[in-house]
Amino acid sequence: MIESLTILAGALPYLLKGSVVTIGVVFGAMSLGLLFGIALAVGQVYGAIWLKRLIGLYVWFFRGVPLLVLLFLFYFGLFSLLNINLTAFTVAVIVLGLISAAYQSQIFRGAIVSLPDGQLKAARALGMSDATAIVLIILPQALRLAIPAWSNEYSIVLKDSAVAYALGVTEIMARAHFVASRTYQHLPLYFTAGVIFLILTYAGTKALRLLEERVHIPGYSQ
Amino acid sequence: MGKRILWALALLTAVFILTNATYSMAAEKIYINGIDANFPPFAYVDKKGNADGFDVKALDWIAKEMGFKVEHKPMDWDGIIPSLRAKKIDIIASGMSITDKRKEQVNFTIPYWNIAQVIVAPKDSTATVDELLSKGNKIGVQRGTTEARWIKENLIAKGKNFSLVEYDSAPLSVEDVLNGRIKGAAMDDAPAKDAVNKKPVRIVGTFGMPSEDFGYAVRKEDSELLKKLDEGLKKLMASPYWNELKRKYNP
Repeated sequence: MIESLTILAGALPYLLKGSVVTIGVVFGAMSLGLLFGIALAVGQVYGAIWLKRLIGLYVWFFRGVPLLVLLFLFYFGLFSLLNINLTAFTVAVIVLGLISAAYQSQIFRGAIVSLPDGQLKAARALGMSDATAIVLIILPQALRLAIPAWSNEYSIVLKDSAVAYALGVTEIMARAHFVASRTYQHLPLYFTAGVIFLILTYAGTKALRLLEERVHIPGYSQ
Repeated sequence: MGKRILWALALLTAVFILTNATYSMAAEKIYINGIDANFPPFAYVDKKGNADGFDVKALDWIAKEMGFKVEHKPMDWDGIIPSLRAKKIDIIASGMSITDKRKEQVNFTIPYWNIAQVIVAPKDSTATVDELLSKGNKIGVQRGTTEARWIKENLIAKGKNFSLVEYDSAPLSVEDVLNGRIKGAAMDDAPAKDAVNKKPVRIVGTFGMPSEDFGYAVRKEDSELLKKLDEGLKKLMASPYWNELKRKYNP
């Protein structure tokens, strides 16, 4: 017991450095997913029929193929074939980001269609172009509505990021495994890895909850 | 405000990806050595999180002697040869056995270590190797290793009555031996000795697999690097540091 604790205390800084890598992957992937997801959602709601189909195909693909398969496909397959030599970290960010974009697009699409129809019509009646109306009227409301579902997506991406370990990204899980191989203290190390993930999930969802309250539109109703 | 945040995010993402891409194109060539950090004492991660182990320190010495720079990158054993071929890494110096099958994909240096494969079982068990490899027992092995392949082709395919359970690393298979899920685990004798030092297991014995030689692997086209590594290995094995390494890591 004492021995486990000493090993754990010694390994903690190393594991915590792994959480910086994890946060990097999640931040990168969520940002990429946010930008791309909003574009996809707007395209799917307001776009031409071919665009809607194309986006539907994208979402179908990235939601349908397992994360590990996509990671290997991109890392060892696609980027190598194109002779683009990206680090495992970058590939993890891109793949998690593309997958998250698929999920986030559906979160935003749901939020956009939940807004009353009259919003866009009123904006158009005031002389706004479609694009202006979407950017200034629809999205600010839809994004606010999307925050609860988005924080769900955050916790999923955070946990999914552990799979990047298979590519050799030295995040929390990989580091726990390395230390366990040297010390044979598997249980305390995986337990600690779990606790670090729990703390990160809690901190992120709490922050988003605060954001939700802060940007809440007073008196807003359907 | 929302728009500004979006732009900031877009910019950050772009910077992020670009810096990562250009990072790998740095001016001075640093050779990347891919290691299986779950393979003590040949390759592991030390208390401070730095790569350590017999192979790591040996390659560091060779790099210094031959005048090139090397960095060690821990990664999954499963994907280590694809990573080499995809130029994610340049060298594999991590207890890799030289086999004909692997020679089809990579080139090996001269052998530097001869290793036997053994079966590990709980300390309090009295079973022999023959008893372990029978009665439908489950035996663990690390996925993607030569011993996994040899056992499948030479024991299981020839009708020995036991099944193989594959793990991510040898230490994980040892852990499952202790959990009682499997009766024993097959691995190289060096990590087996490491396990014996740290856990209540014993080495039961060899199981008939011919011993193997470790060598460093490089891409087929990197003949210059191969020459440097061969020469460096020869120098290393002739130097007193070689014995020092053996004493320190006791592989």
